[in-house]
Parts: sequence; structure tokens; C-alpha cells
Amino acid sequence: MECREARQKIHDLIDGRLPPRVAAEVRDHLGVCGPCGAEEAELRRAGDMLRLWSAARVEAREPELSALWTRVRAGIEERREPWYASYLRRWFWVPAAAVLVVLALLFYPSDGLEVPFRPKSFDVTVESIESESATVALVDKGEELPRVIWIIENGKT
Amino acid sequence: MGRRDRKPGGNLPAIVLLGLLLFASPVAASPDAPVTVDLGVVVASNEGTTTDPALASIRNQLHSMFTYSSYRMLDRRKRTLQVGETGDFPLPGNRSMRVTPVPAKGNKVRLAVQIMEGERNLLTTTLGLSRGGMVLVGGPSHQKGVLILILSAE
Repeated sequence: MECREARQKIHDLIDGRLPPRVAAEVRDHLGVCGPCGAEEAELRRAGDMLRLWSAARVEAREPELSALWTRVRAGIEERREPWYASYLRRWFWVPAAAVLVVLALLFYPSDGLEVPFRPKSFDVTVESIESESATVALVDKGEELPRVIWIIENGKT
Repeated sequence: MGRRDRKPGGNLPAIVLLGLLLFASPVAASPDAPVTVDLGVVVASNEGTTTDPALASIRNQLHSMFTYSSYRMLDRRKRTLQVGETGDFPLPGNRSMRVTPVPAKGNKVRLAVQIMEGERNLLTTTLGLSRGGMVLVGGPSHQKGVLILILSAE
């Protein structure tokens, strides 16, 4: 193996990403080639230093990371929902829609003239009745039917 | 961290309370409470056999009381009157009806009613009804039939 090819593969060798046969070839070259071997040693040393530096930073920030994890865990606990929460979320629109319909019916601009007659009672007391120009009859066919005051003009019934 | 997510259904009690308030039955009105007078003007005749859909809810009563084959609503007016206040309701054929709530006891209403035809007094009466009660006044001729006035008080 030539130096150029070996140096291209040093990184992959260090990271363990070479097939065993190629890795063995690269290692053979590094064993016999001083400059390539030195470069490999330098790269390994740089990697070790980087790992040490990262570990030191993590250790320094450990209290903050620990607090962050505590908050995350508390948030997860808080968001844990009761069994009926999904049903409520799914069907919440039904009562909301019903209320909207009721409100729309109540406040829809209307003079009430389309509302059908709904008499609650036909109980009527006629305290006085008179006419200057007609005959007046009071018709009563029982409690289930409305009382009728009938005005008879000119003798016509 | 101060703001918490709103849980689904959190407004449910308020909506239920609102529904109860909307559907709650009204309490008995005081004797001097305003009276809502509802007047339907119907022409009944033997021309045709139709009953106005607006009269569907009292169709059976009309057919039981009268022998006309057709009932058509010409007009319907609703007015809320204070005790002592007179409401004028125009009627077909230069007629008019004047209704005045007068003092009453309990859940009753008393109405002084006058029907005029021009200067002629057709009817003067005082009626006592339950709130929600109904009485019919009929007889004046109109076109090929007669007028039937459906008078309700709430």
C-alpha cells in the first residue's frame, strides 16, 4: 500500500470503519512507514484530547443538565392524562355545538311571529261584554277547546 | 414554566350551568308584570280546504270549534304592554283592536279589549286569562269569509 492511500484511510482505521482485510493492510503500512505512523499517532492523540475536553465540559455542567432532566420528567408526569381525557377531547364539540345552537335560536333576530301558537290554557273569564252595534255570543265547548266570543253583525251568523 | 396547558373539558361546568340557566323555567310573574299580547288575524272561509301552516299547532281546535274549510293567517303581531298601557292592533276592513292590561291577581292577566270598525264599537270586553292562555274572537266579515282573532297573553 502506498502512503497516499494509507493516509486517506487513517481516519477510518481509527474510527473502526474499515473492513478487517483493508485495516490489516493499513496497519502493515503504518508499521513500516515512519511518517504515516507518526501521523496516525498524532491523530489518535488529538482524538483522545477532544474526548477528555468534552467529558470535562459535561462534568462541569452536570448540575444544570440534572436540573433540566428533572424538569423534563416533571413535565412528562404533568401531561399524563386521566383515562377519560381522550374521550372529552374527542367529543367536547358536541356540548359546545349544542350550546351554540341554543344561543343562535335564542338570539336569532326574530319578531317571534313564526313561533306556532302554544296555548297553555283555554281558561278564560269574561268579566264584562257589550257591543253598540252587534250581537255578541260567548261559545264554550269545554276546557279542551278555546272559548270564542262571536260578533254577529246585522243579524248574520 | 408559569403557564400551564389548559386541560380539555375545563369549561364543561360553565357550559352546563349556562344550559341550566337557559332552560330554567321562569318563575311566576308578579301581578304588575308586563303582558305580552300575541294577536293572530285569521280569515276563515269555505273557499278551498287549506289550513295555513302557521296554524298547524291549533288546527284541531279550529276545526272543532268552526265549520269552515279554509283558514288563512293574514297577520300576526306581538306587543309587550305594561299594566295600563294600551296597544293598538290594526285589523283588516278599517277595524282595529285596542288591548289594555289591567291590574290582576296571582298568575292571571286581565285584558280590557275593544274592537272598533271606524267609529263603531263592535265589542268591549274585559277578559281574565291565565298567563299563556288563549281566547278567540270572531265574526266580523272579511272578503268571502269571517275574521277570527287569536288572542293570547303571556
